[in-house]
Amino acid sequence: MIFITGPLYSGKRSYACRLLGCAPEELEEHAVWDVQDLAAGSADLSALAEELARREVVIATEVGGGVVPIDPDERAAREAAGRLSCLLAQKAERVVRVFCGLPMALK
Amino acid sequence: MFTLVIGGAASGKSEYAEGVVLRSPHRPRYYIATMEPFDGEGRARVEKHRRMRAGKQFETVECYTGLSSVRLPERGAVLLECVGNLAANELYSPKEAGSVHASWRAVTTGVQALLSQCGDLVVVSNEVFTGGERYAEGTDDYLRLVAEINHTLAARADRVCEVVCGLPRYYKGAAG
Repeated sequence: MIFITGPLYSGKRSYACRLLGCAPEELEEHAVWDVQDLAAGSADLSALAEELARREVVIATEVGGGVVPIDPDERAAREAAGRLSCLLAQKAERVVRVFCGLPMALK
Repeated sequence: MFTLVIGGAASGKSEYAEGVVLRSPHRPRYYIATMEPFDGEGRARVEKHRRMRAGKQFETVECYTGLSSVRLPERGAVLLECVGNLAANELYSPKEAGSVHASWRAVTTGVQALLSQCGDLVVVSNEVFTGGERYAEGTDDYLRLVAEINHTLAARADRVCEVVCGLPRYYKGAAG
């Protein structure tokens, strides 16, 4: 599995398409994205990471920057999203962070 | 040489970007200031950055919108700070209030115009994309605008780095 992360609107999906040699409308067959949104509702992040890692490419938006939110649920959601990303990065053969459309290999 | 320096709030991006300009052999050094000080906090911020630049021989050129109209008298080294302000000014200021596309064009053609007038250009931009996406309505336009400007400039720049805790990480080119 290749794990792609990066800020919002950083070009993660475009990079995944370039990597896979597929059109944007074909990406769904190979990849899953916005997985950071699945973290908050998950009772078992390890099991979720395990399941996601079966896909060819997994994409998560970084959401842990900026000011820590006052709302406890939002705080917990960011925390869970960050932990999920760490688990995915551990399982991935390759980890790439996309920044301003430019990829950087983290692993 | 065109260097794009990106960082979050108080990441040390300004100081790092100044260092890049100070290492440039080109003179004079121009600082393009983009923040219109509306209140006490704004004035204090401008003052803080002025103090940081004091003694470094920068000529300050103020430009809040319409970057393409800036004319530099000599081919020096230019520090433009910052894209986040310019983008907000183009998108929201009562005089301009342009669309995302018009604002993107105003900023990117403005940077292109600066490039043609200087020896070295350093542009500072903002990392505002990792704080989630739950913002007030309309903020998304601003985020998309800054993202699109960043992508365009990153594609054109010789070097692109993100500054974290004052330390640059190069995504394109290398420190030097």
